[in-house]
Amino acid sequence: MRELLQLVVVGLSTGSAYALVGIGMVLIFRTTGIINFAQGSFAVLGGLFMVELVDGLPRLLAGALSVLVVGFIGSLVGFVAVGFRRRTTPLASLIITLGIALLIASLNLLAFGDRPHTYPTFFERAWDIGGVLVQPQYVLVAGVTALAALLLTLGLQKTIAGQALVACADSRRAAELVGIDVRAVAVIAFAVSAGLCALGWVLLTPVDPVNYDSDVRIAISGFAAAAFGGLASIRLAYLGGLTLGVAQQLVVGYADEIPGLGQQGRQYELAAALVIMLVLIAWRSRHEVHE
Amino acid sequence: MNAAPLLEIDSLVVKYGPAVAVDGVSLSVEAGERVALIGPNGAGKTSLLNGVCGLVKPTAGRVRLDGRDLTGRVAGDVVRAGLTQVPEGRQVFPTLPVEANLLLGAYGREFRHELVSATLRYLRRRGAIAERLQRVYTLMPKLYELRERPAGRTSGGEQQMVAIGRALMAEPRLLAIDELSLGLAPLVVKSLSEFLVRLNEDEGVAVLLVEQNAVLALELCPRAYVLEAGRLVLSGASDELERNETVRSAYLGGGLDVSLEDLGADAEPST
Repeated sequence: MRELLQLVVVGLSTGSAYALVGIGMVLIFRTTGIINFAQGSFAVLGGLFMVELVDGLPRLLAGALSVLVVGFIGSLVGFVAVGFRRRTTPLASLIITLGIALLIASLNLLAFGDRPHTYPTFFERAWDIGGVLVQPQYVLVAGVTALAALLLTLGLQKTIAGQALVACADSRRAAELVGIDVRAVAVIAFAVSAGLCALGWVLLTPVDPVNYDSDVRIAISGFAAAAFGGLASIRLAYLGGLTLGVAQQLVVGYADEIPGLGQQGRQYELAAALVIMLVLIAWRSRHEVHE
Repeated sequence: MNAAPLLEIDSLVVKYGPAVAVDGVSLSVEAGERVALIGPNGAGKTSLLNGVCGLVKPTAGRVRLDGRDLTGRVAGDVVRAGLTQVPEGRQVFPTLPVEANLLLGAYGREFRHELVSATLRYLRRRGAIAERLQRVYTLMPKLYELRERPAGRTSGGEQQMVAIGRALMAEPRLLAIDELSLGLAPLVVKSLSEFLVRLNEDEGVAVLLVEQNAVLALELCPRAYVLEAGRLVLSGASDELERNETVRSAYLGGGLDVSLEDLGADAEPST
């Protein structure tokens, strides 16, 4: 039981970082029709910058700087992906984001090498909550990401700029007709999304080191989270991320008890978790059809 | 007094790849005027409008609003110059409340290049925009009642009002309405029509009404153009057009041949 609780805590925490990646994906997909595969790269960049910056700067400043710089990089990626010409199709844009992801991974390999990067956690000791040992960094990740998701939702609902984003998601043609520059909005969506991804890994890196090629794992996880809500709902993407995180930890924790997997099963944590997600998504979409 | 018309379209050509949708159309709308553009489905009415409003780049020809050349400018520039389109099928923002839909009409007008400066300009003008919103609510009290409801959960007629209100928030001098009556109940169309005439007469907003329903369009607008297969075939005062044999048979419930042709045109909308 204790072990289970511990796994769930870790799962909810890593899951909320995936959730941010998924939420960003939903934001970009709804406003532009693009599935952005560079999401993982934004997360990796956030982690790597933080590891570098936290060496000489206060943590808060280093974190804020990492998020802002990655947000800026995200806006550039958005600018390229959406296209300088009027009609870059979403499919072409998707390929562009794949290319950019590869490029960023290669640059990271050159600049940071191929070993995992991490930095010390913010807290010295684990918390003992009723016999369950909880690493406070995990709680921090879960808390900050929940806050970020909440702020994003409120911003989209309550501010005119946020509503302009929603308007583009609702009907790009009508948004264009009222005078909103939908490509400029797309750039903003990329920037916000990149910032969210970076935020997740700025905080998660002490407990989950990043490698130059972690981007694939993160992008796929984020996509699974987003797909959980049909790439349409921020709330469901959040739920999807949490589900994926917990599923993954359960596979890690109980791999040796699953027949045919054994200890080696841990290597397949992501694959196994994704299978679980696939089943859930299929079940959910079937459920929706019946409604 | 400025002699030039408010909107002047000169030999406009709109193509989709090799398909010619609008083939050299010239027309004009005077300030404060109501003008109808009628023609069968697939005649190129919407293409013409989209070419004027900046959704499609015209291949040739000129568009001037108040003497300013707007040919090939993006939709936002056209809105800022004073021409706002109420699109076919209304196209409200369904998940946003009615009031947000209206306010976005004003926000879009401030949107030039990017989000931050647009938002700042919008906030700086928020007093004037609030007054404008009140004005729209006075014109359409129903929208005030519905202001908190998601626009997607209002009736077709109400959505048409939201779309018109949203366009009015951009303070247009010319309102281009693409299919006012499409898919709406006759009673709803009647009250929208009356509203449109009042809006035009009391507020001085010029109206270009693009309609498949020729009876309605000719009744609402003193002057009209007839578009067929991308070209203007007739134009003039509506009461004269109503008496014209061709128009009568083709658009005012005439021969069976023509309505069958119309059905044929339905199958290929953009030609």
